[in-house]
Formats: sequence, structure tokens, C-alpha cells
Amino acid sequence: MTGRPVTRTPSELLQGTVDILILRALAWEAMHGYAISRWLDARSDGVLMVDGAALYQALHRLEQRKWVSPSWGLSENNRKAKFYTLTAAGRTQLRAESAVWRSYADAVSKVLRPT
Amino acid sequence: MAFKKPSFPQLPWRSRASIARDVDTELSFHLEMRVAELTAQGLAADAARQRAREEFGDLEFTRAYCRKVDEQTNRATRASDGFAEWRQDARYALRTLRRSPGFAAVSLITLALAIGANTSIFSVARAVLLKPLPYGSPESLVALFESWPGKTTDHMPLSPANFADYQGQQTTFAGVAAFQGMGSVTWQSESGDPQSVDALAVAPNLFHVLQVGALHGRTFAPGDEKEGNNLKVVISYGLWQRALGGDVASVGHHITLNGRPYDLIGVMPPGFSLGWNEELWLPLDMSDALADAVRSRRQHYVHAIARLKTGTTLDRARADLLVIAHRLEAQYPDANTGRISVLIPLHEFMEGHLRSALLLLQGAAAMVLLIACANLANLTLSRTMGRRREMALRAALGAGRGRLVRQLLTESILLALFGGAIGVALAVMATRTLLALNPEVLPAPFSAGVDARVVVFSALLSIATGVLFGLIPAIDAARANLNDSLKEGGRSSSGGHAGERMRRGLVVVQVGLAVMLLVGAGLLIRSFDELTRVRIGFDPDHVLTAGFRAAGARYDSAVAVNRLYDGLLADLSRAPGVVAVGAVSSLPTRGSVFTSLRIEGQPVDETRLPDLGYVSVLGDYFNALHIPLKAGRLFDASDLPNGPSNVIINEAAERAFFPRGGAVGHRIRIGPNPKGDWMTIVGVVGDVRTEALDVPAKPTMFANHRHEAWERSMSIVIRTTSNPASALSNLRRAAKDADASLALRDVKTLEDIVGSSLASRRFALALASSFAAVALLLAAVGIYGVLAYMVTTRTREFGVRLALGATARSVLMLVVRQGIGWSLFGLVLGVAGALAGGRLLGGMLFGVTPLDVSTYVSVVIALLIVAGVACIVPAARATRVDPLTSMRAE
Repeated sequence: MTGRPVTRTPSELLQGTVDILILRALAWEAMHGYAISRWLDARSDGVLMVDGAALYQALHRLEQRKWVSPSWGLSENNRKAKFYTLTAAGRTQLRAESAVWRSYADAVSKVLRPT
Repeated sequence: MAFKKPSFPQLPWRSRASIARDVDTELSFHLEMRVAELTAQGLAADAARQRAREEFGDLEFTRAYCRKVDEQTNRATRASDGFAEWRQDARYALRTLRRSPGFAAVSLITLALAIGANTSIFSVARAVLLKPLPYGSPESLVALFESWPGKTTDHMPLSPANFADYQGQQTTFAGVAAFQGMGSVTWQSESGDPQSVDALAVAPNLFHVLQVGALHGRTFAPGDEKEGNNLKVVISYGLWQRALGGDVASVGHHITLNGRPYDLIGVMPPGFSLGWNEELWLPLDMSDALADAVRSRRQHYVHAIARLKTGTTLDRARADLLVIAHRLEAQYPDANTGRISVLIPLHEFMEGHLRSALLLLQGAAAMVLLIACANLANLTLSRTMGRRREMALRAALGAGRGRLVRQLLTESILLALFGGAIGVALAVMATRTLLALNPEVLPAPFSAGVDARVVVFSALLSIATGVLFGLIPAIDAARANLNDSLKEGGRSSSGGHAGERMRRGLVVVQVGLAVMLLVGAGLLIRSFDELTRVRIGFDPDHVLTAGFRAAGARYDSAVAVNRLYDGLLADLSRAPGVVAVGAVSSLPTRGSVFTSLRIEGQPVDETRLPDLGYVSVLGDYFNALHIPLKAGRLFDASDLPNGPSNVIINEAAERAFFPRGGAVGHRIRIGPNPKGDWMTIVGVVGDVRTEALDVPAKPTMFANHRHEAWERSMSIVIRTTSNPASALSNLRRAAKDADASLALRDVKTLEDIVGSSLASRRFALALASSFAAVALLLAAVGIYGVLAYMVTTRTREFGVRLALGATARSVLMLVVRQGIGWSLFGLVLGVAGALAGGRLLGGMLFGVTPLDVSTYVSVVIALLIVAGVACIVPAARATRVDPLTSMRAE
């Protein structure tokens, strides 16, 4: 792992943030929960480390909202694992949330920029 | 990250346990993957496991959270899937129904009629039997009566003195209030003709006992009845709208009744009534009657309504009143011997005979619905037979048996709901029209109408109907053998023996139910016939009647009253087309007042004076009604107003009091006063049904109104040569000439009056007969349908038979025998059912026993004729089968 891990529980890390990260992770391919957590870790250079509890709670919530759809399959080591696929509704949601998040992040960094 | 394509299909609906298992599997997979990775980085197994758990966070909470969310998701999916499937079924069903418009139309008409009939009856039954009366806490209201001496089941009005004693001594009521009918009063509006409206005199506390307040103004307060105060009146909402245009400012002003000014103090809310068709209420003052208690204890005209104290049962109140009744009996033996108090719940009293009639009609309507169900089941069965291939194909494409049943049930339920919707629309119109045409059928405090609850009832009934007629065919069709059905190629199967048996069974059931309804209707028709043919004792044909009341201060003397009526009758008798004119204090079938009787020279038991009906007559009354004179003479010009008192009695009175005959010449004395005037019997006339058509004549005397002119409200009777309505204009003119300030009321033919005494019977009879007719028609259609279907499926067989030399006649008989065979079986079942159920009709019958042979015989004959006709058409078609075509068609 690189960098200082930022482990956050959902109450601290905005719930919406975990959701959008998961949706982003699934944008290209279906993954199981563990793969998602590894992907997030690698993608953020170990900065955004979402713990298991937050991850799975978010996944089941997203399933309920029909943004991801589950199916059982075999993992790389031939174990039964639950895979999540991004649905059309989930993709729309990802696009909308990304735009909001990006402008929010821009605004925050603009404020924090040394004058 | 490697990943393999998912390969385990997930079931759409999962159990709680499997949800829990899946969450566990998913979470432990995550932990094991992490442990494996940590171990690969060189950590010891134990340490790796602990590290993985720490990194994960709150495992137990997450497990519970995920399970809960998944269960919610599962429930939502399940619901939306079910709905989607149902919508698919419904869409498919609609498409199929549209493809067979004939089937759909026949089913819809049948359903609309059957469900409409049930809805109609239910809307009335609910209004009468289930809806609370329009009073406050109506369940604790009771009606109080006295019994006819020795008859504990009778409802006789109380006497004022007895009422006062009951009121003063009872301990179980929160309040008791008296009221009495006043007949009509004349309303003189500021502009326009006087009109006559029915009035009740009510004790000031009556509205309080009923817990109903005025809509505008106020109801009576204690003291309002006292003479000396301004006269006060409360009017109904309907009269207020009609006569005063619903003007709120009119409350508190004067109105003119019977020529005297009254303070209009209040308007009651819409629908308020005590069931007397009354439109206004005056305060009842009983102080005069009570001042002369000896006299008023014998006169029974006070009605009473009481409210039970909270927590008091009806039985306790009855017991309490009985104690008082026995005390009064001991105290006033001459008036009260054998008379006890009768207490019944107000609702029970008001619904009266309607309860049995409505239950009967509801039962008849339910039977029509059952017959309709049997018919539709048959129709559907035939239709699904033809759709076997479709079913087999759907099953082959993966539809489960349950799914197929559901599909077919959806069709029948949808059909039933559509039919039900049409039926409700019909019921709304029918109920409104029928009640408007027959206002006497439903007493005022009950208001029938199709409301939300009735609609819910019909919707549930429709669904139940759909299930009832759709379930058997649906199960039957789903059971279809895939292989056989497809193998049969383009030919539709005849459905095999099971389907055949089912259809015959349904026809038998139909015929049986129809027979039961026919017998019921037949018995009602016979008793109606008996009722109208009974010797009512007078001839209602060609007689016009009208009420005419000598109201107002002008008529305070017998001379004035006599002058009014004498003038009117003389005027009318000169009119063209008039045969005879008279007047009477109460028309036949409209009841009479009762008084007590002493006969000169016969021993008198002061404690048991016999009762005698009292009617006063004027002019040529007996001739106008064709009431025959049996002995002596009628009143004539020699009977002067101030001459000796002469009376006429009826045959029932002669039989009762002069068993050896020869009543003429004897003297009688009526009323409670033992020193009253002697009256001489000068004539005996035939018996007339004075109380009601189905109540035999009671001993009655007729007084000469010119002599006893205290009755101010007389009914004029005019016998005409032609249509009695032709005398109407003359009657109106004569009444105006006699006194323009007085109003004629209830201008009707005597036939209408006699008819209205039978109105509710006739109404029930008309409905029951139409139900029976519909039942017969449906049964005929059922027989026809099954036979026609059988002929179609056996075309080849008939072709072969004809080719082998069978005569057309033998083929015809083959079909007819089958149809008649089922009908006979149904007939036997139906007759058995009717014999068993006939007793339920008992209370509705008159002059006929429930086992009336001639009714049964006519029903059997009628049914056989109808069944024969229903058989002939398909049978004739069977004989016309062309052997060559029929065999080539295969």
C-alpha cells in the first residue's frame, strides 16, 4: 500500500461518496465486493480505503435502488462469489453524481487555494 | 483483476433463510480473500484472520443490515413481479375476449343482470336491515305498545292515561316520549292554493329522546305544548324546501295551518321522519286527555318511543314495564284487564315485514347468480375445450399449471368485474326508478341507494363470481394432457368424459335451482291471487276518493260541519256521470278506531267490555262502495242530526254479539261512559276489510256522521259510470265552492288505495317473478348450450348413424332424450329443494300452503315445455347432418 490510508466509516465519509465510488468501480466490468475494494485501493493509491462494512452496506443499498444488479458467479480462485453489474439506471446516476461531485470538488479546492 | 462470467442464475424470489445464507457467503468470501492475500504477504494465519476482521469494521451490524435491505428488496421485487405478471395476464385476457365477442357479450349480459339484481336488493336490504336509523345512538331506542287483551304479540297504541303511568313509574328509561298521528293539516301558503300535509303531534321531549337536533332554529322545549303560548311548529326539510324555498329567514316567522297562525320555530335535517310520511310536527298536549283519565284510559291512540338507560338491557326494561302493567291491571280492571306492555327495539318495529321480504328476495337473487355461474361455467368449459391446443402450447413453452389456471381465472374474473360494473350501473338506475315508482315500499327513515359500501360489495361479489364460474374450467383446462392435445392436430377435442360429466352436472344444478325459484315465485303469485280475490266486501272499481278536512275555527260546531259536507255531497251528486256519493271517516283497508260496547239486555262484565270498530259515514256511502245491506235499512233522510241515535253494524258484529241473528232493533251503548246514550241498530251490512286486505273484518259499527259530527276529517267517495278520473274536475270545483280555504288531499282511485295496501307484496312478487323468469331463461340457455355443443362434437357419429340407416327421428330422439333426461334429474332435485325450503316462505304466503300441489304441477309442466323447446333446436340440427360432409370434415 502506498500513502497514508484514510479509513473512514460511513458516518464520516459521506454515504454518497462511497456510492459513487462503487458505481465508478463497476463502470467497466462486473465485480465482486472484494474486487471492488482492491480496485478502489489501487485506483486511489491507497488513500481512499473504504472498509468492508461500509462497502457491503452500500452495495446492498445500491442493489435495492436497482443501480446495480447482483448475480452469483465463480471468482478467480473458483469460489462462489456475488458479482455486481452496473445497470442502466446506475450508469445514469453515476454520470449525474460525477458531475455534481466534480464541481463540488472544484469549488472546495478553489476556496482552499492559497491566495 | 480476473473475473469469470456469472454462471449461477439467481432465483427471483428468495426465502428469508436463503437471503441470510447469501449474505453470509458473500461476507465470508470477502474475509477469506483478504486473509489469503495477507497470508501471501507473509502474515501468520491467525494474525491475518484477525487483521482482516479489524479492517472490515462492524461485521455483525453489516450482516444484519444487508439481510434487512435484501429482504426489503425481495418483497418489492415480488410485488412488482406479481403485478407485472397480472398485467400481462389481464392484457392477454382482454385480447382473447375481444377475439370472441359473442362469448363475451353473452357472459357480460348474464353477469350484469345477475350481479345487478344482487346489488339492487343489497342496496335496499342494507338500508333497511343494516344501516342505523337516522337518530342518535339508535340501538338504545325502543318502541312501546300495549297488547290487545290476551294477545301478547299485538302492537296496540297506548292509552294516554296508561302512557302517563308508564312514564311516571318506569325506572329503566333515560326518556320516554309520546306522539300521535294527526292526519293532515291544511297549509295556507301566502300565495297559491292551500295544500294538505301529514302531521304528527309529538311530546316536546321526543326530539331529545331521539337525540336529533334541528337543522335551523330549534326543536320543542318543555312548555311549548301549553295552550296560551303561541302555537309552535317544526317542519321537515322537504316541506321547507318545497313550500318556503329553503329560506333560512322563514324560521321564526308565522305560517298558517288550518286557518290559525303558528310560529315556525325549526326545520329538521333531511331524512328525519318517524315513518308516518309526516312533514310537520306540532307539540302534543295530553293534559286534556289526562284530566279525564277514566275516559282516556280506554282510548288507545298514543305511540311511544323510549331510550334505554345506558347499561340497561331490553329484558330488564320489559320486566320493569310488566310489573307496572300488572299493577295497572289490578288498579283499573275495567280498562286494563289482559292488557300488558309490549317493548320492541325501534329498528325491529320500523323494518317490520320488510325483513322477511328482503331476505327472501336476496336469497332469490343469490340463486339467480348461482344459476348464472353454472351457465357461465358451462360456457367457459366449452370454450376452454376449444382452447386445449393453446393451453398445451403454452404449457410446452414453459407455463406452469398454476400459471395457466391463473391465466384462465384472470379472464373470468375480468369478465365478472366488467359484468359487475355494468350491473352496478343498472342497479343504480333500477333502484332509483323502482323506489320512485313505489314510494310505499320503503318507509321514510330508510334511504336506499348505491353507495361506496354497496359498490365494494358488488366488486367482491363479482370477483367471487369470476372465481366460482372460472375455477373448474381453468383447472380442467390446465390438466389437459400436452401430448394428446397436440396430437389431435387441428381438431378440437370433445373434452373427454370428465368435462362432459361436469357440463351435465352443471345443467342439472341449473335446472334444480330454477325449479326452486319457480316454485317460490309460483307460491307468491298464488297467494297474491288469493289476497286480491278474497271477498274484500266492497267493489273498488270506478270509485274516486279524496280526503277533505273541515279545518279551522269556522267548523267548531256540528251544524257548521254538517252544512259543509251536506253541501259538498249534494253538489257532487248532481254532477254528470256520478252514480253515488258518500263520505267515511276511514276508507276500507286504512284501519279504524275502536271503542267498547255494551248491549241492552245482555249481562255486562265491566272488566271485559268487548271492542268494537267505529266508523262514521255520510251520504250514500254503502251504495257508492257496493257494500250490501243484509238486514234492516241504511241511513236516510229520516235520520235527523238531532233525532234519535241510529247505527248500522256489520255482519261480523252481528255474529259476535247476536249469535242467533236479529240484531236490528236492539240498542247498544258505546264508549267508557256506562250512562251514555242508547243507540238503536237499524241495519246490518256486509263485512268489509277495514284494517288491511289480509286481515279479516272485525266487529264494526257505522255511526251516522250527521248525528255524530265530531269527526272533522272525512274521505269523500264518488262512484262514477265511466273512468273515475272524469269526476276529478267536478270534485275540485265542488270543494272550492264548498270552502276555498280547504284542501283536497290524497285524491286517488279506490283501486289505488287497495293496491297500496298490497304495494310491498306486489313489489316483492314482481321482483321474485322476474328472478324466476330469468332463472328459467338461463336454465333453457344452459340446456340448449350443452346440447348444441354435444351435437357439434358428435357430428361424425350422427353422420355415421345416418349413413348406416338410422332414421332422422331416431337421431332426434337420441338428442332430445339426453336433454330431457338431465332436465328430469334437475327437476327432481329442484322439487326436493323446494319442498325443503318452502317453509321459509311461510310468513309471506296467504291462503296457500308451501306444499301447494297445483303450483308444483304448473312449475313441472312449464319447465318440461321450456326444456323440450331448448332440446328441439340442437336435435333438429343433428338430423340435418350430411353423412358425407361430416366424415370428410375429419
